[in-house]
Amino acid sequence: MSTGAKKRIMKEYAECAADTPAGMKIIFDEQNMTKWEVLLDGPDQSIYAGGHFKLEITFPNEYPFKPPVVSFKTKIYHPNVSNDDKGSMCLGLLRPDEWKPPNKVVSVLRLIQTLLIEPDIDDSIEPSIANEYKENRKEFDKNAKDWVKRYAK
Amino acid sequence: MPSDEEYAQLQKLSDDYQPEATGPLVGERQSSSAITTEYANADLVYRIKTAALPQKYAYFRTCRGDGHCGWRAIAFTYFEALLRAGDVNKFDEELCRLQSMGNLLVVAGFQEDLIEDFRDEALDLLRRLAASERSMDGTSADLLLQTFNDYGASMSIITYFKLLASAWIQSNPDDFVGFLLDCPDIKTYCQQNIEAAGCEIENVSMAALAEVLVKPAGFGLEVLYLDRSPGSEINNTFCIEPTNQDGVPVQNAPILRLLYRPGHYDILYRADDFPSPVPQPPLQVALAGYTDEFVPMSSNLSEVMTMIPGMFPTGLGQRWPSVSYYDSPDPAPQPQIASVPTYVPAPTPAAPVVASHHDFVHSIHPNHVDHHQPPSLHNIQLEPPVTLPIHHAPPPAPPISIERTPSMSIERGGPFRPSMYELEPGFGSGQVHPSPFQTSIFRNSHYNTAHFMNPEFQPEEWSPDSEYATGNRGRHKSTSS
Repeated sequence: MSTGAKKRIMKEYAECAADTPAGMKIIFDEQNMTKWEVLLDGPDQSIYAGGHFKLEITFPNEYPFKPPVVSFKTKIYHPNVSNDDKGSMCLGLLRPDEWKPPNKVVSVLRLIQTLLIEPDIDDSIEPSIANEYKENRKEFDKNAKDWVKRYAK
Repeated sequence: MPSDEEYAQLQKLSDDYQPEATGPLVGERQSSSAITTEYANADLVYRIKTAALPQKYAYFRTCRGDGHCGWRAIAFTYFEALLRAGDVNKFDEELCRLQSMGNLLVVAGFQEDLIEDFRDEALDLLRRLAASERSMDGTSADLLLQTFNDYGASMSIITYFKLLASAWIQSNPDDFVGFLLDCPDIKTYCQQNIEAAGCEIENVSMAALAEVLVKPAGFGLEVLYLDRSPGSEINNTFCIEPTNQDGVPVQNAPILRLLYRPGHYDILYRADDFPSPVPQPPLQVALAGYTDEFVPMSSNLSEVMTMIPGMFPTGLGQRWPSVSYYDSPDPAPQPQIASVPTYVPAPTPAAPVVASHHDFVHSIHPNHVDHHQPPSLHNIQLEPPVTLPIHHAPPPAPPISIERTPSMSIERGGPFRPSMYELEPGFGSGQVHPSPFQTSIFRNSHYNTAHFMNPEFQPEEWSPDSEYATGNRGRHKSTSS
């Protein structure tokens, strides 16, 4: 990793630490600054309220010219998060072809919060969950809450 | 039958697939005949076109095809053109110009703290190249290539240039809005097609980059399309002429030249983009024009002096440290002779010596056009080399009388009896000695005896008598001595 990338990550961390979005905690290890751990509370206005989710944000060596990689370490029932051991989230500005070097992690964190409140159905990674969200919202809500109880307490 | 989910997965894999790009980010400059070789088994049109390529464009440089090659090629050639322009001040101009464009970026909605890393990388490269050019350490080209092969540095510079292009389009929407195909608005277009990390340059952004970066620097931009269109050479080009601030075309301005093959950009050069270095002329050539600047004595001196028996150029002794500077046809006795004038004791000059000194002053004469010993011109007017002050150090050699053979004096000719004291024939008529110290620095230093700060400085004297010595020097001098 180049010094420029390290400098950039340090700068972004300083910014995040000074102004962390509400309901979030960032664990930053200076020895391994390319991996951030984020503790995220389910937003109050979402079905994930009351849950605590652990996320990992990994910065590639090419950062900021390639997007950071977001993965949910805590299982979550969500159309935009892959239902596997990776729990990866890859949409919008996180896509390699949409990522812009001037984007900041803080905007990534805000995007995640927004998605928990309102999933992006048209850009889903789990089509079956997205389908359920569209067609049987009750069932979706029930499953999601169930998963929060099971994994995110 | 795969499910929709599996199809989606496969589609995603295929979308995400990117062949691993290899090779340096920017390669070394190489002969463009390599391109001809590359297409040796290709389509006939390609074969013909690439065969004609090296005649016009002798060199090329590869850029790694990682999706940024077009941006990278322009960015690299922009810096290279600054080097090629050969004017160090141009770096400062560009530094100021790029710094002054901060507002353009802010107006386009970029936050200062987000772009500064990228901008600083570009400005830093300008500074380092300027420093390298100023110190003339010859490493600037390597420095540029190294920087562009550093992923972080080159991507920062590319990102900065992308942001500049985007900001330019957003602040001049009227020039571009007609070219944005099926895109709702300029801002979205710029975000999706320029600012996004993975997007390659296309015509709109290239035109914008040319407007914001290339043209104001006084450079031109030329893109040659190597495609299958009929023709005997590359016939499809995109070209922006170099102009000055007033839009007047400039001749001989550096041109950033790109070779486009569908999906990929490389850098192309003409042979004359890199003139072979001119061999440095030998230093003594620089002395040729020196005659008019400093003429304490005329070139006729040596000629005259050799005709006067018993002539010691005492006054000159300090100026002529040693005859051995001159190649003589008869080298053996020369060093001995050389010491003679030097060590004549100054407080008790012999009468002829005084006279000769006087004569020397008289002999100042502007018309050396007619003199018949061209090399002596340089000999006489050579300033003593730097070693001159050391001249006093060696133990004084006693004046040595020289055994002269009669034949030598006969050879010398002239109306006078031979004398043991006279100068050697050919004295002062030798070749210019290639003195390595005749630099302008030495000329202006106080070690130069012609410099007024030198303790040995001998001012030029004017004597009205000398006015009469012109027509008839030889006789005049013979009578005075």
